[in-house]
Amino acid sequence: MAGDGGVGAAVKPAAFEYSVPDTLEEALELIGAESRPLAGGQSLVPLLNFRLARPARLVDVNRIPELAYLRKDGAALRIGALTRQVALERSPLVAAEWPLLREATRNVGHAQIRSRGTVGGSVAHADPTAELPVAFTALDARFHLRSSSGARTLGSEELFRWPYTTALAPDEMLVEIEVPPLPQGARAGFVEHARTHGDFAVAGAAVVLAPGRYAAVALLGAGPKPLRAEQAESALLEGAPAREVAALAAELAGGGYPRALMADLVRRAAEEAGA
Amino acid sequence: MDDIELPGLAHLAFVRSPEAHARVTALKVPKDAPGLIAVLTSRDLEGLARALPIQAPDGAEAADEPHPVLAGEVVRYAGEPVAAVVAESRALAEDAAELVEVDYEPLELVIDPALSQCRLVRWRGEGGDVEGAFAAADEVVSGRYAMPRLAAVPMETRGAVASYSADDDLLTIWCSAQDTHRQHKQLAAVLGRAAESIRVVIPDVGGAFGSKGSLAPEAAVAAVAAMNLGRPVKWTEDRFENFVGAYQGRGVQADVELALTSGGRMLALRAHIVADLGAYLLPTTAIPPHTTGMLMTGCYDIPAARVEVVGMRTNKVPTGPYRGAGRPEAAYFVESVVDDGARRLGMEPVELRRRNLVSRFPHPSPLGWTYDSGDYRRCLDLAVELAGPQPQPNGEWLAGRGVAMYVERAGGQFESARASLESGGSVSIASSTSPHGQGHDTTFAQIAAERLQVEPDRVKLSFSDSAVSPAGIGTFASRSVAMGGSAVALAAEALVDRCRRAAAELWSLAPEELSWDAGGVLSASGRSLSLGELAAAAPGLEAEARFESDLVFSSGAYHADVEIERATGQLSIKRVVAVDDAGTIVNPLLAEGQVLGGTAQGLGQCLVEEVIYNEEAQPTTASFAHYSLLTAAEMPPIATAFVESPTPLNPLGAKGIGEGGAIGTPAAVGNAVADALGGRRLDPPYTEEKLWLAMEESVQR
Amino acid sequence: MRVAVEINGEHHEREVEPRTLLSDFIRHELGLTGTKVGCEHGVCGACTVQLGGEPVRSCLMLAVQANNLSLRTIEGLGDDPEHPLLRAFHEHHALQCGFCTAGFLMSLEPFLRDNAEPGEEEIREALAGNLCRCTGYLGIVEAVKQAAGEIKPA
Repeated sequence: MAGDGGVGAAVKPAAFEYSVPDTLEEALELIGAESRPLAGGQSLVPLLNFRLARPARLVDVNRIPELAYLRKDGAALRIGALTRQVALERSPLVAAEWPLLREATRNVGHAQIRSRGTVGGSVAHADPTAELPVAFTALDARFHLRSSSGARTLGSEELFRWPYTTALAPDEMLVEIEVPPLPQGARAGFVEHARTHGDFAVAGAAVVLAPGRYAAVALLGAGPKPLRAEQAESALLEGAPAREVAALAAELAGGGYPRALMADLVRRAAEEAGA
Repeated sequence: MDDIELPGLAHLAFVRSPEAHARVTALKVPKDAPGLIAVLTSRDLEGLARALPIQAPDGAEAADEPHPVLAGEVVRYAGEPVAAVVAESRALAEDAAELVEVDYEPLELVIDPALSQCRLVRWRGEGGDVEGAFAAADEVVSGRYAMPRLAAVPMETRGAVASYSADDDLLTIWCSAQDTHRQHKQLAAVLGRAAESIRVVIPDVGGAFGSKGSLAPEAAVAAVAAMNLGRPVKWTEDRFENFVGAYQGRGVQADVELALTSGGRMLALRAHIVADLGAYLLPTTAIPPHTTGMLMTGCYDIPAARVEVVGMRTNKVPTGPYRGAGRPEAAYFVESVVDDGARRLGMEPVELRRRNLVSRFPHPSPLGWTYDSGDYRRCLDLAVELAGPQPQPNGEWLAGRGVAMYVERAGGQFESARASLESGGSVSIASSTSPHGQGHDTTFAQIAAERLQVEPDRVKLSFSDSAVSPAGIGTFASRSVAMGGSAVALAAEALVDRCRRAAAELWSLAPEELSWDAGGVLSASGRSLSLGELAAAAPGLEAEARFESDLVFSSGAYHADVEIERATGQLSIKRVVAVDDAGTIVNPLLAEGQVLGGTAQGLGQCLVEEVIYNEEAQPTTASFAHYSLLTAAEMPPIATAFVESPTPLNPLGAKGIGEGGAIGTPAAVGNAVADALGGRRLDPPYTEEKLWLAMEESVQR
Repeated sequence: MRVAVEINGEHHEREVEPRTLLSDFIRHELGLTGTKVGCEHGVCGACTVQLGGEPVRSCLMLAVQANNLSLRTIEGLGDDPEHPLLRAFHEHHALQCGFCTAGFLMSLEPFLRDNAEPGEEEIREALAGNLCRCTGYLGIVEAVKQAAGEIKPA
């Protein structure tokens, strides 16, 4: 709360330079430690308004059509980073083959946030209470990064480090999220708990289950980043009932009330996924 | 208020203390910055502005610790305004504010009022033979109950635009505030200016709920800046400032003892109430705890009571009225100990109440107020009837139900109105009240139209301009229909009388010979005049009325059904029944809107709302990310009903309805939660974690 | 920077600083004060406008981001008392101070367009993106139910 100039002085952003490139290559030339990408703005603009973020330059990537797409490539799903959350929510393809993503996205804030917020933005911002990082973690997604000097691909474990911190270098941008196919008939459940509807989640669980073939249990709010509950997953894979899966997963949430809450959320998500 | 634009408008931003208690050892202001016009500190205000005045309630001792306009040598709460920056835009003002350098030498912090050495307010009330009653009691039930601080959170934050005309030495100020009168009086006192040299205008206001009653110190700064700089100055409070700098509500704890016979008769009540008042006494800080103290016998015919209220200084923003303003606290304290008493006696909570309700009016309470009228029994019976049988939960949930009564004071002092006949025959009425969503235009038009015998759309109301509005006290304490509405009624009747006399003169008749018919027609022996014709024949007819009365007392009974999920501690409010007796209800739709809005705020207090200061006395609930408001998705079904016990104290028979929902709901929900937990008493908010821990503890015992 | 934007069918061009928020631009540059500002961190919804037919928080967009785009604000909804939403709000006392109302209406238009017969729970969830401190929401829910019956989805 303390800061020079006193507390609470800010509701208008500090000044910055502004660029709006229309190709990815242009954007990559521009971004750096003091020159940050602006996508949907739903997470970044509040920080700008409070002056908690003060980049010298904003690189507005909203006018780069090559970054916004949602398509199947072979059996995998490829999501351009600039895809609006509402597009993910409404996509029949996603609903049919990766229903977890639709369920998770529905829980992101409110419609007014999702109409503007981007899938890539949510991932790159790495808010520890965010839904999409957890869902992608449960789906073993791969994150494609680009910089002006190259490209690399990371998994969830490598990408998410700490609250609001990813492995993205200052000159790197997330350009695509690739989601591998799930076994035919896989079901999913996403349950979170927030104080009020649309509020930041306190805890949550993403479960994907194709019995005997695929089981994922990813936790929101059990640590500084999305967490896979591996013991719970093994049990789930072998057909353990939801309650047992939940008890195993909840051990990662600590003790007392957080554990009880997580157990309840995992149980409900697992039940939704058919456990 | 932020909609207002004026030529040459300059903008204010504030440097606020990051320290909760510190000596200001150095303050350096930038000489220059883009768009910077001026920086003001307390030094610049010397001789121009004094601290805000303090209103001490009747019989209360209040310390001389007023809120300075800008902090001087010592800052006493995190967020206290230390310096003001005026610039060409808000953004530039914030840029310049960052260049202000302030050095702070931290001082000792006081966070817990129980540990505070500095008492700001004290009040004692006593009546009847308290000691004798306690000695004679079969049972003495005691409990400690607390309501944490809350933020009012109107959707529109506070703000002011000040403009000064040197030619006529007139300061005009537009404030997002509850009324012109208190802004006017307080500003005149702060600036040391004659009232006539200040004009206060209240534009449309986006909610207030008590938090815009007192003058904001920042508004006084805007006024000084406008006068000094010769340019209009605007301060639009931002949401962070509103959470941190606007005065908060509640923050009270009570130790209560109730003396009972084994047959369930209440003999006496003792209470020691400690209020966390924050760092200073703003004009109205002392009022809510006094109200709490005065209402501690509730709806019950308790012959003896002794209450002491102390308001302690802490290093937090001051408290003040917030919807209920002391009454929710009283209802919560009384209704909790009554329920605990019922449990002790093995009696139904409703039955214990029935045996002790006040039933004869006027009723002088032992603490000093006289309740004018009421039908407490009917309210209670109706609430129980509307509640119906308890819903059966499934095994995963614990069920509980609770009932709570309340009595609250409304109205009082005076309001006035001026009714004028306009050309064309419409009537315009200037009222001394200021609506901010309560619909005074509609209600007062109804009241006047009834007396004028015209359609309500022929009556136009105007409010909220000190240059034009008649004298009054303000919009707060659920007073506007009772007081302002009564003044409108009297003014309308007085206008009828004037019109009758004017017509009589035109026809050379005695006024008694004229009749006043529907549609506003005066007639006698075949002749008739519409109001339009009368206005043409005798322009300028008008009448003023001032209405004064003692306090009136609304009451009610609230009922709540709740369920607590065993696995998670989640509280689900299944249903609320709200029975309110606000005397005569003039407009049922608007009255119900007040009940629903108040109940939503009461539920917010029960489920999610709580101001939290950490160990450094820093407010951690300083944005919507941390201070939650209920959304439409959280609202349970609410059944409302009105009992009407007219008050004899005004021509309408009306009392006040604006705060009942916020008063009755937390007490009822509190009792329902305790019922679900088998008698375990918890304070709001009833968060999942709190309830889960409570259930865990009782399992382990 | 130059920003050209179409609002309610009218074309506007202005010079703005990049850091100017869309909400401030609409209200102060263009004088369209029907849109209100309640929090500037995207929670309260008072600033909701429509971009490309979808509801967005104008406090979370920079004015420059609206360059060459088309917006609709509450002024675009007009004040015809017979409009189903406006009439329903009036009849069900769905507003008291009115500060949040523009945001609700801007959010509800797309919702009712996309949802033919919303159930109570759907309506309440849809309303959760706008805060109201005055009404307790029940009047708003009733108003939406009534309007939903009258507005045929596109």
